Amino acid sequence: MVKNSLFLKSIRDMKNAKAQFISIFIMAALSVTIVTGLDSVWKTVEDNTNIMYAATNISDMWIYVSNPTEKQMWSISRIKGVESIEKRFTLNAISDIPGGPTLKVYAVSSKSALDRPILQHGSLHSKRGVILDESFAKKHNLGINDKISLKLNSKWTTFNIEGLALSSEHIYSIKGNTMIMPDSSKYGFIIIHEDMLKGIYGQKIYNQICVKLAPGADVSEVKNEIGRLLGDDLIGSVAKGEDSSTNNIYANIDQFKTLATVFPLMFFLVTALITQSTMFRLVENQRGQMGILKALGYSKGRILWHYTSYGVYMGGLGALTGFLIGPVFFTTLLIPWLNLSLPSNQISINYLNLTYSFSLILACTGGVSLYAGLKLLKDTPAQLLRDKPPKEGSHIFLEYLPGLWNKMRFSRKLIARNTLKNKMRLLMSVLGITGCTGLVVAAFTLTSMINGITQHTYGITYSYDHKIILDKKADSRYIHNKRLDGAVALVKETSVEIIRPGGKRTMELLTVFPQHSPLINLQDVSGNSILLAEDGLTITRKLAQTLGVSVGDIIELKSTDKGYVKVPIKQIIYMATGQGMFMTDEFYESIGETFEPTSILVKWNQKPDEVFLASDYVDEYVSRTTQIEDTNKSTQVIYIAAVLLITMGAILAFVVLYNSSILNFSERIRDLTTLKVLGFYQNEISALVLTENILSVLMGWILGIPLGKFIAELAASGLNDQLDLYSRTTFITVVLSGAITLLFALINNIIVARKMKNLDMLESLKSVE
Amino acid sequence: MAFITFDNVEREYHVGNSVIKAVDGISFSIKKGTINVVLGQSGAGKTTVLNLLGGMDSPTKGRIFVGEQEISDMSEHELTTYRRNRIGFVFQFYNLVPNLTVLENVQLAMEICENPLDSKEMLTKVGLESRLYNFPSQISGGEQQRVSIARALAKNPDILLCDEPTGALDSATGRKVLKLICDTAEVMGKTVIIVTHNALIADMANMVIHMKDGKISGIKNNDQPKDTEEIIW
Repeated sequence: MVKNSLFLKSIRDMKNAKAQFISIFIMAALSVTIVTGLDSVWKTVEDNTNIMYAATNISDMWIYVSNPTEKQMWSISRIKGVESIEKRFTLNAISDIPGGPTLKVYAVSSKSALDRPILQHGSLHSKRGVILDESFAKKHNLGINDKISLKLNSKWTTFNIEGLALSSEHIYSIKGNTMIMPDSSKYGFIIIHEDMLKGIYGQKIYNQICVKLAPGADVSEVKNEIGRLLGDDLIGSVAKGEDSSTNNIYANIDQFKTLATVFPLMFFLVTALITQSTMFRLVENQRGQMGILKALGYSKGRILWHYTSYGVYMGGLGALTGFLIGPVFFTTLLIPWLNLSLPSNQISINYLNLTYSFSLILACTGGVSLYAGLKLLKDTPAQLLRDKPPKEGSHIFLEYLPGLWNKMRFSRKLIARNTLKNKMRLLMSVLGITGCTGLVVAAFTLTSMINGITQHTYGITYSYDHKIILDKKADSRYIHNKRLDGAVALVKETSVEIIRPGGKRTMELLTVFPQHSPLINLQDVSGNSILLAEDGLTITRKLAQTLGVSVGDIIELKSTDKGYVKVPIKQIIYMATGQGMFMTDEFYESIGETFEPTSILVKWNQKPDEVFLASDYVDEYVSRTTQIEDTNKSTQVIYIAAVLLITMGAILAFVVLYNSSILNFSERIRDLTTLKVLGFYQNEISALVLTENILSVLMGWILGIPLGKFIAELAASGLNDQLDLYSRTTFITVVLSGAITLLFALINNIIVARKMKNLDMLESLKSVE
Repeated sequence: MAFITFDNVEREYHVGNSVIKAVDGISFSIKKGTINVVLGQSGAGKTTVLNLLGGMDSPTKGRIFVGEQEISDMSEHELTTYRRNRIGFVFQFYNLVPNLTVLENVQLAMEICENPLDSKEMLTKVGLESRLYNFPSQISGGEQQRVSIARALAKNPDILLCDEPTGALDSATGRKVLKLICDTAEVMGKTVIIVTHNALIADMANMVIHMKDGKISGIKNNDQPKDTEEIIW
């Protein structure tokens, strides 16, 4: 019975202070939702990717080399750290499906054990049989035993689809050059038997070696060793992580890791701050009741648990709700936007952060109520039963400025003294609002930064109508003679193996075009238009950061057919997306290469030359509008995450404001009733409480703007290797965040004002409670 | 001439499903410039009378007149204006604003009314000229009650309403406070209504209204009110 009545008391106490308990519940739920949700997004992607990598036995490195000899293969297999190697042939081929989508062809031996596809349907059993990309097949309604033709070596060869599968090299499946976002209707993979190559090319040919390393092997050491072994035969090498699929997956994982660190931290700081002070006050207000319980003979432990349980119930319940909502909600909402082809999207939980967040919530609720209880229980029941001496009034610094102080109205003085005396409460609400405004500003800034990518790349840097990828037979003379009706820029894009100053090898994109090319407008990091450097390499800022190089450093470039050329970095430019290296055609020829364009950029004077676009000389083409759409699609996920964060930040802001204004109100009920009785009008009394709210909102808002900018920059720096974002906290962002916070303050004030109106003058004056 | 008139006033409260009549059809009138005591035990309805008269509550039935005004049909806003200009309150628990000094507590009330008196003069009158810049927590209960009287009087109200003004004070201090109320009211010509359960206080009043169970059980006019010094309790 005893236990029951105490429990009933808990329930009723919570009912009485439901505003505070609901805010604690919401804050705990929100914080845990955010942390577990964002964590689950990257963890789910990471775990499922790793599961897939293990299942497919993915290579650690791919070496581009034309028809490696048996001796070369043997030497590579003997390198320390190399576990197994395989050679294969791979290239992009056009298919006979309507629209002519490209398939990446992998010609492998039947004994192949590296980079195995994960079969979803069927199996490979004949030499003419192929395994097709399941996502591609779905988009084009292809199934087992359907036929598909590929244009290989200028001839069409027909294959029988015997299996549908997913590949760990095509989780994030993009073609490069023209593609930003995976689109299974335009690009996929197909695996054929290497014996088929004999009929097509007259012999078995290979252009790639897949290398699997032993655990713990040093990737760059092996890379260098292979580079030495193959010498001039090496075209390039790509380690796992540098390939576009893994790179993009990790970019996605990293971007959510960054979001999942920065934003939850803010949520937790705010939540911790508010819950702990709320809990502390809730328990302190129970002083007299604690005295009664103690006087009745309740044991210390039972009383302590009674008060600790308040926090534990609410905090724990909130945290649990957050945990139930977060992972499912965030992963189902966000992961589809990543366009990953994974066999499973089994949700993973980051238990480490889950534990942290639960502990923190419980510490801020149960822990704090326990602490407050312990502090109060030190007093004897007699002391507890007596009223707590009212807070002493004290003089504040403003009074030492008689000029100002004497001019103030008394209600203003009252506000000033009250505000300054309750510095903790003011601090708490200012920090709360700062945090929330910060979140909102950060999320807005982040979206505008990402918006800036398309604006900069396709608004400032490039102004073509079409980017056209040329077939090999279309050389510069052909283009010249063709006299396309419009502005034309000749561009060569190629992936080059480089050795950075430290000796590390990577493959980077090199873009070559004449110094005075139309349709390309390069900008330096401060936004001034500049031309390519004449006598060296121009490199984008983000790549310079990633490589750790700066102007004046020397980079070694792998030449097409002999050794390495040393080139100096002459200039750093800003590119929002598409990080890489640039040089002029003249400089390119001066280092012994020939400039033959791989693509052209065209701005048509009139209508696009459809005949040319459809001709054999054009491999494919993409319009700038499509690229803009694709870029926007690829950043959609950040937008959605940002909207989520803005919404949650806003809810948090509301709860914080509500909480502090209710506290401000309930702690001053006696004062306010006295004023009401004295004949102060409703609006005059409201002003007393609400001025403080407005004050903290304004202060929090002002402090929140730089904080938000900081968070956004922090988040942006970790987002993606390919994106170079610069922070732009716009006027609109600032105003919007302010407007949101102020709107909440207003709604809050209305709620509190209504409460104030219902102040019972009669009851609250009768006795000191 | 009646200054305050209660005409068959009734005030009901709904508590859960039951209806409680705190004041059940009472009528009386009070002359201007007199000292009146409403006497009764706890729950007799005397505080309700004070609240109705103070404009903190409105009757469910009946009419209340103060001077030429009928306050029983005023809106909340009108009642506030009425309170700020015509009523001075003295409470059992003083109800000073802890954040304001003694002087400021008085000035606070004056800031909002039409014809305030000088705050320092008022505080000197109640004998607190040396405590002007102290905060309420720094002075004794009797002193706090004197501040509250000064605050009520500084507004220069027509009516001074006191709810158990001596309830939280010892007898000697209580007597001093009562004397202060009566003397200043007499000098300034205020109408005073004191609500109390202490029958002894009744001797100093011009008129005593006895209340029981929400009804008036008797009204006694006292032609020769005793001086506060003669009251023994």
